[in-house]
Amino acid sequence: MSIKIAPFLPQLLRSLFKKPVTVKYPFEKEAVPQGFRGTVVFNPAKCIGCNICVNDCPAEAIDIIRVSETEKKFKMILHNDRCIHCAQCVDSCPTKTYHMDLEYEVAAFSRHALKIEYK
Amino acid sequence: MEYKVALGPQHPALHEAVSLRMTLDGEIIRDADLKLGYSHRGIEKLAEERSFIQNIYLTERICGICSHSHTTCFTQGVEQLMELVPARRGLYIRTLIAELERVHSHLLWLGVAGQEAGFESFFMYTWRDREVVLDILEWISGNRVHYAMNTFGGVRRDIDELQKKKILDNLGLLRQRTDYYLNLAASEPTFIGRLAGVGKLSKEQAIALCAVGPTLRASGVPMDVRKDDPYAVYDEIPFEVCTADSCDVLGRAVVRVKELIQSYNMIEFILQNLPEGPFKVKAPRKVKPNEVYSRYEAPRGENVHYIKSNGSDKPERLKVRAPTLANYPATIAMLKSGFIADIPLIFAAIDPCICCAERLVQLDNPRSGESQVLSFSQLRSMANAHYKKIDLTKKEAAWPF
Repeated sequence: MSIKIAPFLPQLLRSLFKKPVTVKYPFEKEAVPQGFRGTVVFNPAKCIGCNICVNDCPAEAIDIIRVSETEKKFKMILHNDRCIHCAQCVDSCPTKTYHMDLEYEVAAFSRHALKIEYK
Repeated sequence: MEYKVALGPQHPALHEAVSLRMTLDGEIIRDADLKLGYSHRGIEKLAEERSFIQNIYLTERICGICSHSHTTCFTQGVEQLMELVPARRGLYIRTLIAELERVHSHLLWLGVAGQEAGFESFFMYTWRDREVVLDILEWISGNRVHYAMNTFGGVRRDIDELQKKKILDNLGLLRQRTDYYLNLAASEPTFIGRLAGVGKLSKEQAIALCAVGPTLRASGVPMDVRKDDPYAVYDEIPFEVCTADSCDVLGRAVVRVKELIQSYNMIEFILQNLPEGPFKVKAPRKVKPNEVYSRYEAPRGENVHYIKSNGSDKPERLKVRAPTLANYPATIAMLKSGFIADIPLIFAAIDPCICCAERLVQLDNPRSGESQVLSFSQLRSMANAHYKKIDLTKKEAAWPF
């Protein structure tokens, strides 16, 4: 049985004169799309401490802690090692305290380094 | 003379952990037995401890390829429990993602089939073109694999005109490529020779063994949940149920290529007829006590979720039946009187997702080799006895960092 090469030919010729598609990653970076779900960003000024995000987070990655006894001030601790980047906190928050940035290089040598505190 | 040979759970010929025990006569398989439970993950138990909203993301992680299938199946079940009518635009977008997912799953499968048949260039071509679909999904949802598009009452993101145009532009490329594959596969005698006649499953066997998806349709049975019991907006979208009569791996490949073309048509129809209006409606947090059985046609076959609610914001029971589990009895029938060398091909032809399917129901005694089935009350008493032995002071232990 002989191999018919004809259907391959156009493909082979096209690939022969094409530039490689590989991006040399640490030196060149490809842009992520606009709606990309990167790292969670929290704005403490808007938080009312309703704890809906804490209850809705599927990965239990959010802690909301009251800072002052008298004033309604809160800080948020994001356990980015547990975060699954689903953006449910962005959807759940009634005061639009959260948004997702386009940061995707979040690797670290230890998981404590991934803990982010927003005051 | 007959030999007994064990294949797996870890074996280089298989992509996932399948445990096969075979009785061989030379190279021919006389009898085969499949053992489940190696990749058991306890997802159903975990679902009982999470709220309905958290469970959307848990069910998404049952499978990496059909992640949208599991969430849609779960979401539409819970919407029935909530007596909630989802937004029409939301349902259209949900169906759009489902069809895009079918395209990427079938392209992936074609590549796997090419690789198992020894046609490596085919594998490279299909996987390169699969990137186009994954990029489309990334533009729409923000991520390549776990789209997280579903929520109760609709979807979480809208589609704008620019995205619509981008999808339609790329569909042209995909159509062109699929035609090229058809031409390539049809003119390559070694590829057809390797697939034809392997893993025979007759129409009667396929029905008797409850096969689902392309495995069933390749045996000439036109069954598809999208036609038989339409969910979302499939009753408004024109499409054909693709079948093949050759009852072998070649037929399964043909069904998938035909379904690719149907999916392109459906994506075009959805984008041209996308209704205006809101893409989601507000959903209640708590669900009335009831139970529901939700069906969905995943790329691999019929996917079933059974959800029972008890009036709280958590499900009392979630039962997941992934399509691979329904295809196992048919796989055993296909393996019998086949060759050892055909095992990877036959397994690949059902597009197995082992981790999705494994729900532990049977236990083996390693010493005597006996297997036993435990009832729920026995399991419960075993669990109670186990927890009594545990040192409860550990419960107070804090996260050390």
